[in-house]
Amino acid sequence: MPAATLVNAATPRGRAPALSGWLLLGPMLGWLGLFVIAPAALLVVCSFCSRDELGRVVPAFTLENFGRVLDPIYLRIFGRSLRYAGVTTLLCAAAGFPAAWFIARRPELERSRWVAIVTIPFWTSFLLRTYAWIMILKQEGLLNAIAVGSGLASQPLGLLYTPQAVIIGLVYIYLPFMILPIYASAEKLDEHLIEAARDLGAPPRRVFSTVVLPLTWPGIQAGLIMVFVPSLGMFAVTDLLGGARTALIGNVIQNQFTQARDWPFGAALGVVFMLLFAVSFWFLQRRAGAREGRG
Amino acid sequence: MKLFLVLLPALALAAGASGKSELHLFAWSEYVPQEVIDGFTRETGVPVSYETYSSGEEMLAKLLASHGAYDLIQPSDYTAEAMIKAGMLRPIDFDQVPNLKNIAPEFLHLAHDPGQKFTVPYMTGTVGIVINTEKVAGPIRGFGDLFQEKYRGRIVVLNDNREIVSWALAALGLPINDLSPANLARVRPLLARWLPLVKVFDSDSPKTALLNGDVDLGVVWSGEAALLWNESHKFQYVLPAEGAHFFVDLLAIPRTAAHPEEAQRFINYILRPEVSALISKKFPYTNPNAAARRLLTAEQLANPASYPPVLKLDTFRDVGKGAAAVDRLVTDLKSSQ
Repeated sequence: MPAATLVNAATPRGRAPALSGWLLLGPMLGWLGLFVIAPAALLVVCSFCSRDELGRVVPAFTLENFGRVLDPIYLRIFGRSLRYAGVTTLLCAAAGFPAAWFIARRPELERSRWVAIVTIPFWTSFLLRTYAWIMILKQEGLLNAIAVGSGLASQPLGLLYTPQAVIIGLVYIYLPFMILPIYASAEKLDEHLIEAARDLGAPPRRVFSTVVLPLTWPGIQAGLIMVFVPSLGMFAVTDLLGGARTALIGNVIQNQFTQARDWPFGAALGVVFMLLFAVSFWFLQRRAGAREGRG
Repeated sequence: MKLFLVLLPALALAAGASGKSELHLFAWSEYVPQEVIDGFTRETGVPVSYETYSSGEEMLAKLLASHGAYDLIQPSDYTAEAMIKAGMLRPIDFDQVPNLKNIAPEFLHLAHDPGQKFTVPYMTGTVGIVINTEKVAGPIRGFGDLFQEKYRGRIVVLNDNREIVSWALAALGLPINDLSPANLARVRPLLARWLPLVKVFDSDSPKTALLNGDVDLGVVWSGEAALLWNESHKFQYVLPAEGAHFFVDLLAIPRTAAHPEEAQRFINYILRPEVSALISKKFPYTNPNAAARRLLTAEQLANPASYPPVLKLDTFRDVGKGAAAVDRLVTDLKSSQ
């Protein structure tokens, strides 16, 4: 672990990093400050501001934007966005875990090939790949041609511009973000532990729940977060594949910065969003900490 | 870091203030043909940088954030109105733009710029109904005929809340620019009935869903409808019987422009009949340039979407903060489906 070399290993609580540690951390801290902390601070400031007729942000303090966030309209949209992101995350986990497990159990050379295959989609813009899904799902598209041609359907199915199309798009885009972290922890899992469990008479299900699952949990957890968080805020896929019919929170925020010309309200939604993530992340971490403490 | 932040505007100013002759054009994407820009540079020797935006709001935001970065912009009528009110536009010296005479008088002195001091019409258009006549048998004359239960899931409309609300206002016989709370309350039940019938909301390329066969009806920009008509005459365009409005996209010079002289030369160049006709060929909106229209082919003029029977139509007016109430109404109705 690189982090361990930075701190004095003798003190378990960890003293301040040595000078060399700070130097190594420097670029990362600079990057964080410039591209994460500064924009987030701007967002917070903006969320307490007002706007003028032209939509310019005016530094006049108001809590109105946060009041509007609590409007039932936006709470309902929030709820729906959570459901979409939840379903996407579950489907990604269900499809991603077996794939990651399979790759991790292959011989080493083959493994890197599989990982390359998983990452190939990143070679083209995700927007282009979403347009490709339009070609597949549209009325006179590939999938309908196959369904009708093979006699599975008597007439073209309305696939595009439905909630299902949105879920397909989201799962497709975020699946690699589930596979890769699970693969990373599954690869490290010592095969002998599974053998030992079997030798001790554990049935497959028990092996999975007491050995495989706990040992790959860090990867699964990372995958869950990496899929859930971005799919909650996504707006391009919902617009393109869902026909912009169902408003999700990402679309609402995007709209505040474009058509509605209400940056402070968009910023307030963003801030609430960030807080929500921070709280749930802290909660997850605390639970993980508690588990370690018990063990 | 700090030094960088201080230097950035200074650099921009230095670049702007330098005596070099150049033109920074900031315009809608897919709206100014490259050959027109090249033609201007060839003739005048003034290099043009062309940056694009896809919504008037994006243009406003970038213009406000930059100082002197843009010499010529392309706002729509109500955006220009707001900018004139805010003192953001520079009066055009029309002595330097004699070709303004080519513009048909009905496109001058409009509500957004009654004194005709700050803007020049570029292209205009309407928002109307497109019908795939191979799939839809019944006559569609207006919004009432379009938004019917039998067409559920077969309609594409612009993903533009101001537009959507204006259609409902027109259908109820209310003025499209009066977005008072009382009027919004009156259109609400109508929109609550209409919106669930819509399959796709798309402003960028509403023709796609129609071409792909995913929908058979649409309420779209006339330029999109004109391209559909060129693709196949089965796509008919009608102006809604309840009332339509038209939009004017303009050329204007920001007050902060570093090269207003070049901007005026470019405006004058664009207003030439042959140049304007070239734009029409590429982007078949309604050309306000009367001299250019005489150069168009009979086929171009016969396109019902580019040149619908012209009635007296309204344009959108600036509603200031009213946009927020419109946004809230449509968002609410969309999310309660």
